[in-house]
Amino acid sequence: MPNTIEKTLLMDQEKLPVKQIKQDFKMVTFSLGGKDYGIDIMKVKEIAKFSQFTYVPNTPPFVRGVYNLRGEIISIIDLRIFFHLPVEKRKDGVENGLILRLEDYIIGVIVDSIDKVVGIASEDIQPPHPIFGDINVKYISGVVEYKGTLYLILDVEKLFGKEEQTVQKAHTLEALEGSLREKPGLGSTVKESVLVGQTEKDFIRETLKTFKSFHVTPVNEKWLEERYEQWRAERGKQGRDLQIKSVEEADEFLRTFYSPYTDMVWPEDFANSFLELIQEFSGKVFSVWNPGCGKGYETYSMAALFLSKFPDAILKVWAMDNDLLAISTAPNLVLPPENIPSYLLPYTIKGKQGIGITSQLKDRIFFEYHDILHVNVVPECDLILARDLVSFLSPADQGKILEEFYDKLKPSGILILGNHEEPIETGKWVRISNKSFSAYRKNIE
Amino acid sequence: MRVEYINPFVESAYNVLKEVLNCQVNRGELYLKSTSTPVLGVAALVGLAGDVEGRILFDMSKETAIKVASVMNGEELKELDDLAKATITELANMITAQAVTKLHDLGFKFDLTPPAIFTGDNMEVTTAEVEALIVPMVIPYGKVEINVAIRERL
Amino acid sequence: MKTKMDFPAINDRRPEGLKEDGTPYRVLIVDDSMFVTKQIGQILTSEGFEIAGVASDGQEAIDKYKELYPNVDLVTMDITMPKMDGVTALEKIMEFDKNAKVVMISALGKQDLVKKSLLLGAKNYIVKPLDRKKVLERIVMSLKK
Repeated sequence: MPNTIEKTLLMDQEKLPVKQIKQDFKMVTFSLGGKDYGIDIMKVKEIAKFSQFTYVPNTPPFVRGVYNLRGEIISIIDLRIFFHLPVEKRKDGVENGLILRLEDYIIGVIVDSIDKVVGIASEDIQPPHPIFGDINVKYISGVVEYKGTLYLILDVEKLFGKEEQTVQKAHTLEALEGSLREKPGLGSTVKESVLVGQTEKDFIRETLKTFKSFHVTPVNEKWLEERYEQWRAERGKQGRDLQIKSVEEADEFLRTFYSPYTDMVWPEDFANSFLELIQEFSGKVFSVWNPGCGKGYETYSMAALFLSKFPDAILKVWAMDNDLLAISTAPNLVLPPENIPSYLLPYTIKGKQGIGITSQLKDRIFFEYHDILHVNVVPECDLILARDLVSFLSPADQGKILEEFYDKLKPSGILILGNHEEPIETGKWVRISNKSFSAYRKNIE
Repeated sequence: MRVEYINPFVESAYNVLKEVLNCQVNRGELYLKSTSTPVLGVAALVGLAGDVEGRILFDMSKETAIKVASVMNGEELKELDDLAKATITELANMITAQAVTKLHDLGFKFDLTPPAIFTGDNMEVTTAEVEALIVPMVIPYGKVEINVAIRERL
Repeated sequence: MKTKMDFPAINDRRPEGLKEDGTPYRVLIVDDSMFVTKQIGQILTSEGFEIAGVASDGQEAIDKYKELYPNVDLVTMDITMPKMDGVTALEKIMEFDKNAKVVMISALGKQDLVKKSLLLGAKNYIVKPLDRKKVLERIVMSLKK
């Protein structure tokens, strides 16, 4: 049968623009004199803590000094002084700041505190209103509301860019650079920037959330710690900074998170590891819940494997995903003809489109377009297969869904999470993982 | 909701609207909504029975309903009178029935119950324990939101 | 009511709704939707048919049929209706009058439903949405059966 769903989904080119939460603008937010501001993330090179910088005489008061950023000398502007806002002296002398990458050069700015990375829709940005009195309106490119907080978006190119002489570039920055050149020894006396690890890690957490809606919690924290060290080494070697500035970089960071074969047929040896987990089964009906099943590769692999071991059992699978295109593909999935593992072979059939799945296997699976955060209508399960799903829910939802997994699992049931995931309340579970799967049983004690 | 149910509803809504109104029909992005459904003003409801339980809700503003009913009757209707209501109800019935027919051909045994219509402001229809698929259809007379909630009997 | 005289003499074609003797065919319309009864009514009267009665559920259909009998030539029967569905009503009408001419008109086009209706004695089956041509064609065909 041709895939009619896909056909219809693609049918009308004149799709109307339905309003969606399109996050096409990301900004780093921070506070300044008790108000909230944002700077376009594309302009932010990194988040930094400035511990010591060299004071340069004969510069305006807002130029706090120069700083040696891994060999590159940059000027540090205190935005509070620049905007005539009150400055609280820090006892430890460590200032919060951002390193900005402008068109022409790199510059550091000091703010009160760094908040987070926020993704918004650029169409939600409103033009600035003169009422926001603290800062001259010409340096504000817009205003946006996000979760009840109003953010003023600073136009850093206008602030420091070449077309404006606001910072009296000619006479400060160039003079600065000049004075530095005259004192060759100065560069080496500037202390290396102390980028506090925790802030960097927090920033990575925030960007993973913003770009991939990946939430770091005890579910995946162990992995994050390891990955962070690895990332540090990798990026260090490449001479790149640690921060994640795009979806691509977030993907790169998450590369080692993903479990194997979630979106393809399970190869034989991997499949055998699965069967090791299902040692015995004495009941009649074996119910499986497979949320986040995608196109159904893992669903079919799991179902065929189970039947290869327990041919007389009645298998019922509830497989769901909230990705409409992926789940629409599942009932009529076409497999590449090569490398079909032996356990799946009896359930394949050659069709016009290619190798398909027989109805003998298909009829045991309900593929549903479903959002796991809505009401889940599934029976008590013998197996819950949910790899790399929980980490992509908000922390509150992670707890809720893990709780639901516990409730929906039979006493003898098995929960399989992603390879780098574990249940939050570890006391409620007994780990039964093997080399290919991160699996748990209920702790009945 | 089972994936196999989606396309029959999308197709029949598109086809029936196009046929009875003889106008341009554009489908919006499909999405899922949780149980409680605010109603735009006029809601025609068709119940489903058989292998599944559920209901289809056709939701539109009063203005859209009057215009649609006028076109289907070939005469200008001034208000949402009994004829206009019967017309919208019949539209809901035709779309659902065509979808059920398609599903039947695919082997799903559904039946439908006679439609009902609700009107009023600030109404909400709640179907406990079922999420709904929203199929937005835009026609020159406004938007018709088709809200499909179907659940398998466990 | 229109008679043959209302039509210009140069038009040889007799309106579909008139019998050879010039009197109109009498139709009982059964549908729970006021919109549908109006729609079918308009299509039929425009071709000279006479609407003998209207019923909005299966039970009312049987009662009206018996009341009108034998002055009724055809019934259009909806299927999904409150109280009694159209297939049951069809069965009962056929029991009462084995020569009854019933045309099913439904939005449901399920194969087995069509088959069942025809086996029970329905003369034809029209799937909604309705259009004038489709309705007239099938009804005229049924009257000739």
